[in-house]
Formats: sequence, C-alpha cells, structure tokens
Amino acid sequence: MTTTTDAPTTAAPGGVRLPAPIEGERPTRGVPFTRLLRVELRKMFDTRAGRWLVIGIGVVVAGALGILLVRDGGDRPFEEYLQATTMPMAVLLPVVGILAVTSEWSQRTALATFTLEPRRARVAWAKTLAALVVAAGAVLCAFGLAALAHAAAIGLRGATGDWEIGSTVLLGAAGYVLLFLLQGVAFGMLLRNTPAAVVAFFVLPTAWSILGTLVSQVRTASEWLDLNRTMEPLFVGSISGEQWAQLGTSVAAWVVLPLAVGMWLTSRVEVK
Amino acid sequence: MISFDHVTKRYGGFTALDGVSFEARPGRVTGFLGPNGAGKSTAMRVAAGLTPATSGRATVLGRPYGTLPNPGRHVGMLLDASAQHAGRTGREVLTLGAILTGVDRRRVEETLDLVGLTEKEAGRRVRNYSLGMRQRLGIAHALLADPEVLVLDEPANGLDPAGIRWMRDLLRGYAARGGTVLLSSHLLNEIERVADDIVVIGHGRIVAGGTTRELLAGSGTTVRSADDARLRSALGTAGLSASPLAAGGLLVDATPEVVGAVALEAAVVLRELRSGDGRGLEEMFFDLTADAAREEVAA
Repeated sequence: MTTTTDAPTTAAPGGVRLPAPIEGERPTRGVPFTRLLRVELRKMFDTRAGRWLVIGIGVVVAGALGILLVRDGGDRPFEEYLQATTMPMAVLLPVVGILAVTSEWSQRTALATFTLEPRRARVAWAKTLAALVVAAGAVLCAFGLAALAHAAAIGLRGATGDWEIGSTVLLGAAGYVLLFLLQGVAFGMLLRNTPAAVVAFFVLPTAWSILGTLVSQVRTASEWLDLNRTMEPLFVGSISGEQWAQLGTSVAAWVVLPLAVGMWLTSRVEVK
Repeated sequence: MISFDHVTKRYGGFTALDGVSFEARPGRVTGFLGPNGAGKSTAMRVAAGLTPATSGRATVLGRPYGTLPNPGRHVGMLLDASAQHAGRTGREVLTLGAILTGVDRRRVEETLDLVGLTEKEAGRRVRNYSLGMRQRLGIAHALLADPEVLVLDEPANGLDPAGIRWMRDLLRGYAARGGTVLLSSHLLNEIERVADDIVVIGHGRIVAGGTTRELLAGSGTTVRSADDARLRSALGTAGLSASPLAAGGLLVDATPEVVGAVALEAAVVLRELRSGDGRGLEEMFFDLTADAAREEVAA
C-alpha cells in the first residue's frame, strides 16, 4: 500500500503499525436490516460453490433452450419454453438456499456471522428474504429467456408460435422456483448439515409422493400434503377452492413449518 | 472491559466452566492461560453470546454481548482462525465484515496490509491458506472495524516466531492506546511475554489470577496481616521491600522467618504467612498440563 491513508496509523512498540482509529462516535444503533440482507445475498454467490451453481444453471437452461429451438424447427408453444427455463432453476436453486444456511455451520462461519449480528433471528430472516429476492430474479430471468427463445423460434426459424398461457400456469412456474428455494433454506435451517439437507430435500418429497400413489391408506393425506401433487392443478389451468386449500396445506407442511422450526433452532443452538 | 461473574456452563454431567469470575480491564493485555480443554474457548464463546451460560453472566463493555449495537464496532473477535469459508477469498471475508459493520471499504485493504497479507494472498481462497495466514486474516477481521475490545483465542497458533513477535507488539500497542485485550494460550511463556494480567484456568475453574509480575514472582513471602499498612512500613524500616498484592496482603522479598520476626517486633497480628505464592506459577501450570495430558492418554 502506498496510499496516503497510512498516515493516521499509530506506531506501537517494535515499530508495529496499529490500525487507524475510526473517527466519530461508536454506533449506538444496531446493524440495519438492509445491510444484513445485502451481505446475505452476496454470501450466496461469493463462494466457489455458489458461483459454479449459477454457471451450472445457466448451462442447463441454455442446453434445454437450444434443444427446443433446434428440434422440429422450434415449433413448440411458449409454455414448453417456459418449462425449459424454470425447471432447472426450480431444481438447482434450492441448493443455493441450502448452502446459504448449512455452510455457516459446516464451514463454521456462524462464529463470525453471529458475533457481528447476535440477534440471530434477524440473520435467519435476512437469509429467507435473500432467497426470495434470488427466486424473484430467477423467475424474471426464466420468463424473459423463455419469451426471448420463443420469439427467436418464430422470427428466425419460422415457427408458428403459440403465446397462449394460463395465468395459473405462470403462477405455478413462479411458485415452483420460489417455494422450492424457500424449502431449501428451511431444510438447511432444520438440519444445519449440507449432505443431510441436500438428501432430505431431494429424497423426502419424492419418497412421500411415491408412497402416496402406492399405499391407499395415505392417499387422502397425500392429497393434502404432497406438494408435487397439490401444485398440479395450477398447470392444468383450473383450480378449485378445495384444491387451493390443499395447496396451502402442503405449503404450510413443507415450507412454512420447517422454516419456523428452523428459525427457532437457529436462535437457540450453541454456535461452536 | 470484559467481565465474568460466576459463569458456569454444564454439558449434561460435564462441567466445562465452574463459577468462572474475572475481569479483563481496559489499557491492559489479559492473558487467559490454561491447558487444552480447560475451558478457555468455552468461556470466550460465552462472552460472545454464542454459548449460553448455565448460570452466572458475562458482560462486555458493561452489557451482555447480545445487546451491543453493531458489536463489530465495539468488539473484535477471533474465536477460531479455521472458521472461515474455504471457498471465499481473504479479501471477500473482510469485505463482508466491512459492509456489515458499515466501515469504509478502504479499510479492507488497509487492514490486509497491516497484518501482512499481500494483494495476491488476499485474492486467494481461504482453502489455500496456511494456518499462519488464517490467523492473520482472523486478526484482520477482528481489527477491521476499530473495536475497543479484542478477544483472541489462541492467536499465536501457526504463526512463525516473527509473526508471534509482531502480534505481541500489536496487542501491547493496542492496549497502550486504551483498548482491552483478552487473549488465550496454552503456553505460559507466550502469555508471560505479552500479558499485564494473567488468569489461569484448569478444569473449568480459575486457579490463579493477578498481575503477571505478581504471579511470576514465585520466590519471596506472601503475608497477610490485621494491618498490612503498618506491617509494610515496619518491613520498610527493616530494609525489606514489600509490594501489595491485588487480592490483599503483601509480597515480601525475604524468607517467612524474617518477615515473621519483623511482624513480631511491630506487634502486628498475622493471618497468613507462607513462602512465595504457595507454588510458582510455572509449577502450578505444569501440574495442570500434566493432569490434562494424563487424561488425554487415558481417553
């Protein structure tokens, strides 16, 4: 460093430099939530794992869109393009959510995180909100890319094009990305261990779905508690009042409840 | 200022901290000395609010850590140099700290420079750091937001001799400027060279505490009497040097027999008269360490 900012550092015995004091009063107010949110967002993507996940999602989306464009002259409805962009995000982004929480424990950065903000619930909320921001951005990206690809198919490849799409389908596509990412965060908080959370996230809902179709006794339960199943009416395009209730119940069971318990645990467990 | 007030921490049937009480005062370096597994790290985590105490309380700057507003600007913590994300660069670790505490981003480069991490090293991911580099990064993280209290757990681990000396000077300078420094170590000779005060912990209990000079005095006589002031002046008249102990009583540079004779002549009632501080600090610490070593072998 050759800058002039060296000047205020004070000398100590042995000629060691001390950090320059920061002028002004020490803060009497806590860390604002916006700053926590900013830091948590940044932490999701500033690690090697985070960066590679984003690159991976990009590659998968590009590959899927490429295949759609090339085969059959790209002549497919917009809905299929949308599926090609949202599916990879819905499947892979939750890992970003899981890692955002579990890496604090497996990499033990929780020591630093919770000494800089001891009100742990605020950190947990910042992580949750950061996941929502990421999900919203991903959904916008997915919709935009799908539209762009579909327009390209029409303009460049002479496809007929079919822009028609039900509003519940859009909602369902956005919901997939959003809910799964939140579920990832929730499972992370619940288990605080990367392999356990990843396995639980990918295996448990699928196992539950299979159980629901195979075993008649749990069929009714799965109608209310199987997120894969309760999401379906959205994509069919018509959803009844009871189906909304079923969707709500399954979201409460798989996303809200684990998130609530996870946050409660985050505030209580010993940080080592 | 850090203060522990009868802090006890139990894990099931195991007592990690047993009624720990001591203070680390501003303007002084306090050395927290004890063999591995004595409870140093647990105590520091209790001070940081990361580990809840079973009973008793620890305060930093007069309040529980959890109630400090923007604590990074008041207290710098290095609890474990290895507790950093392996996939993040050193510079990124500090940048996150700077954003959160709200200090100027320029401080990141200044602090990196201060702890001796080069531009190139700062750009590498922590997984590629040696333990010494992690310690320097951890110290940088603690110093980043110009705190008035520093808490460092085994900061000398992994540093080379030049690095240890640098850190010693840094901490002494920090305390000289009015800061409170609490650092732990399991090595007596490391602590005695930097600390003004020493607190010795073994098996979760504070077994000795006082100024470094007092504790290292070893030889001489410890005497407690009904009237220390009168005894001291009588000793002075007899040509003996006596210094008051923090916990009350005097430390006299003479044998117990001589001190007893002076007290008799001055007609001061003695309450305690013994050689040195019982045993020397080194001997006591050695016993503690040997205990712990035996347990490790047994386990």
